Amino acid sequence: MKIQSDFTAKSFQYLQKMIRESGPAASASYTLIGAIILLGGIGYVFDKWLESSPWFLLGGLLLGLIVGFYELAKTVWGMSEKGRKGERENG
Amino acid sequence: MSSIEHGQETGGFDAGEVIIHHVSNSSIEHPIIHLPTIFGIDFSVTKHVLMLWIVAIFVFSVTTWAVRKYTKQDRPIPTGFMNALEAVVLFIRNSIVLPNVGSKFVNSWTPLILTFFFFILTANAIGMVPIFDVLGMINRFILQVPQSDSHNFINNLLHGGTTSTGNYNVTSALAIITFTAIVIAGTKAHGFFTHWKNLVPKGLAWPVYIILIPIEIIGMFVKPFALTMRLAANMTGGHIAILAILSFVFIFSGLFHSTLAGIGVGVLVSVPLAVGISALEIIVIMVQAYVFTMLSAVFIGMAINVHH
Repeated sequence: MKIQSDFTAKSFQYLQKMIRESGPAASASYTLIGAIILLGGIGYVFDKWLESSPWFLLGGLLLGLIVGFYELAKTVWGMSEKGRKGERENG
Repeated sequence: MSSIEHGQETGGFDAGEVIIHHVSNSSIEHPIIHLPTIFGIDFSVTKHVLMLWIVAIFVFSVTTWAVRKYTKQDRPIPTGFMNALEAVVLFIRNSIVLPNVGSKFVNSWTPLILTFFFFILTANAIGMVPIFDVLGMINRFILQVPQSDSHNFINNLLHGGTTSTGNYNVTSALAIITFTAIVIAGTKAHGFFTHWKNLVPKGLAWPVYIILIPIEIIGMFVKPFALTMRLAANMTGGHIAILAILSFVFIFSGLFHSTLAGIGVGVLVSVPLAVGISALEIIVIMVQAYVFTMLSAVFIGMAINVHH
């Protein structure tokens, strides 16, 4: 019974740890997709308005990719910096 | 050809129109409660606005009741519902807000994040409960009110979906609150000008800033946009899937001109699948409330703990 409760407690602790660490990754992935959809959408609206299809859409998608990947890169840099700090602290 | 025209022409069941009717907001032309127009804005209450009110009143009443009951008791040990409430509050504070925001500002931002979580969770969950459909059945079969009676209050309640978080206006309002919180958090932690200066890394060559500043400004707006789209799309998507699968019953009975075919498809395919997707929806309800809460905490934390 004790082994079972230890296992459950450990599982919950691990789940909590995973959840804590997944935050920045989830934010980067949603921002990547969000940037492409938002800027692509704005480009599409401009194309409809100015009848310039497909140039604003393409431009918007490209800008969305740049912004999205920049946000992703920032998250990765932040995570690796945190990892290096942790390694230094642990010796 | 629109789905409505198609349904009218074939004279049968129009799945598209039924689905849209069950997930979208009710029309402002036929509001549930009439309110005056002020500065050109019609303040009349539609279905989703009513649902927002119900959710806000429910969350406020339940938490206030539980906390008051707890503070009045002799032993400071939470039991029953308060025990569960405390566990969720502590989980959000210690596992979501604290690691992102830091110990200095954890108590400043936990109330907002908790409000987001309980409000979104309740709004998502209430959309799965067929309260108004049951009321409609009582109205129709017990009280014998005809469905065509447009002055009947319950008949008016049947128009539109019950998941207010499936409405982009609601989720964008929530995301605007997060956006404002990000600015306030950054300003509180670093001061107004330093917060805006923190958007870009220091010590780069000036031509880099020409590219970087617009990217960072766009990135600032993309974050709340991602919050808006994700929540609304997930909440609408699940309901559309359930309704589409249940529509098979009527589509197949129309296709084969046989009620038995519809019932057969319903018993063998639609109902088991709809039950399975409803079970998945229960997970989605919690995951979406959690993800919105976590992302808000991450974004607020990014404004406070600047890493470049």
